Amino acid sequence: MTAPTEAEVAVVRPRMARSKLVFRYGVTAVIIIGAVWSFTSLDISVERLRTAPGDIWKILRLTVPPDMEGDFVSRVFGKVLESVYIAWVGTMIAALISLPLAFMGAENTAPRWMQLPIRQLFNVIRSFPELILAVLLLPITGLGAWTGTLAIGLHSVGTLGKLSTEAIESIDFGPAEAAQAAGGNRLEAIRWGVLPQVLPTIVAYWLFRFEINVRASAVMGVIGAGGVGSELINQLNFRQFDKAGTVLLFTILVVLFIDTSSAAVRRRIILGGGTSESANTEVFRDLSGLTGPGLT
Amino acid sequence: MTTTEGPRPGDREIVPPRKPPRPWWYWAVAAAVIAFTVYSGRRVGFSLTSLKDLPSNPLWEKFWPPEWDWVFANAIDPLIETFQIAILATLVGCLLALPVSFAMSRLTSHNTYTYFGSKAIMNLIRTIPDLFWAKLFVTAIGIGAFAGTLGLIIFSLSVMVKLFSETIDAADPGPLEAAEAAGGTHIASVKVGVLPEVLPNYVAYALYVFELNIRASVVLGLVGAGGVGRVLEAQRQFFQFDRIMGIVILLFVVVFTLEQISVAIRRRLV
Repeated sequence: MTAPTEAEVAVVRPRMARSKLVFRYGVTAVIIIGAVWSFTSLDISVERLRTAPGDIWKILRLTVPPDMEGDFVSRVFGKVLESVYIAWVGTMIAALISLPLAFMGAENTAPRWMQLPIRQLFNVIRSFPELILAVLLLPITGLGAWTGTLAIGLHSVGTLGKLSTEAIESIDFGPAEAAQAAGGNRLEAIRWGVLPQVLPTIVAYWLFRFEINVRASAVMGVIGAGGVGSELINQLNFRQFDKAGTVLLFTILVVLFIDTSSAAVRRRIILGGGTSESANTEVFRDLSGLTGPGLT
Repeated sequence: MTTTEGPRPGDREIVPPRKPPRPWWYWAVAAAVIAFTVYSGRRVGFSLTSLKDLPSNPLWEKFWPPEWDWVFANAIDPLIETFQIAILATLVGCLLALPVSFAMSRLTSHNTYTYFGSKAIMNLIRTIPDLFWAKLFVTAIGIGAFAGTLGLIIFSLSVMVKLFSETIDAADPGPLEAAEAAGGTHIASVKVGVLPEVLPNYVAYALYVFELNIRASVVLGLVGAGGVGRVLEAQRQFFQFDRIMGIVILLFVVVFTLEQISVAIRRRLV
């Protein structure tokens, strides 16, 4: 016996609804038009496409081996650490500001007239990239790490505020009701009924934000707002690729170290000491980057 | 039954439950965190007076009013270029991410080498910030939008594979097993067994990456990688604060609008 050929077995596939098909083709067309329009106006010739990988490879190869001369290494390492300090202080500033604001923006802990302005404030702040904020602040606060710290702190208020608000809204409101029934006022209900529930999640968000901010602060140096970025720009401008390699190496090492240790602490905060999968596992999965806004 | 003996509920002294003692490392960790925060604060020049004086700095007046005529004459074309960079980078980055994500997921990875190899390379790429990539490309292939596009392609790729491969991990293995049991090749089985389930997420993530790219593309020009950041950088160096303010407001309006549209579409998809 031979297997039936395709002609023998009439495969009947389910048809898609017409409106859905139209939508699909419409979206595809928009994407293709957008891509062609972008590609043609962006001055990317076939010639450049052909030579680019070789040029990039040449530069990347020149960064290896990195310059490991003692003085330079300690200078670069100091700069990378400065980026970490910027990220940490910026995250702390944002945490302190966003925590009360998040309670003022959440559905279940704030009156309605207060929620909307606070939420819009978070959205507005989030739309300003850190570097744009730093460009605005630079003439006021001057060159240096403080400008970068402020910019990162401000921007993070937006994201942390949004995430914390969502965490507060997803709690079990029972304990807070109990506190109110026992005669507590709104503030006491939040303190004893809500805060203990959300604090682990929110602290985990802070840590997650810190990881992102380490990368953001590394870039701050590009405009002179502190950290390791200025070093990379200088070395690349003077075409000292082995030194640029050192900068990249230490950036990678420190970022990796912070990412892994912070992720371990986060896991411990959310899942607790035990190995049992709690209801918070889902929150933990969100933290690992699956929810959209958390990553920015 | 006696009524005089035995304590009545009202008489009893209320004894709140005792708090469990803090573990020994609790204070050590708290102290370390505080010490590190204070030390970092010193190193970055944290000062409350500077924070207090920030709004009253006389230099702010130079930012206002924005020089709108100049902004509309000079910033619109670079702004369009910025979005072209974002569109192209999102598209190429996300297309590249599709096969890589399947290689990076335990569910669909063909063998251990591709799994660990792709994962390690992608993790390494992700540790380097987007602007560093852009600057590297500017150095290698010259100033302009091409370098910026390449930088953002790398950025999109690294974000996309992380999000998408984790979604594939969580997909239902049943259909894939069924397709393989029916004799499908690996790629064909993945195509009919896994792809339909995760495709809506893919589209949603692509939109999300597009939002990220819009924001990231705005600052590419600061390292010479094209777009509106180039104008910002030039005006910054000439201390034209009113023009900077105009550009920033324009950017804010456009980025905010695009983001809200994208968020609305994403909400409909998932």
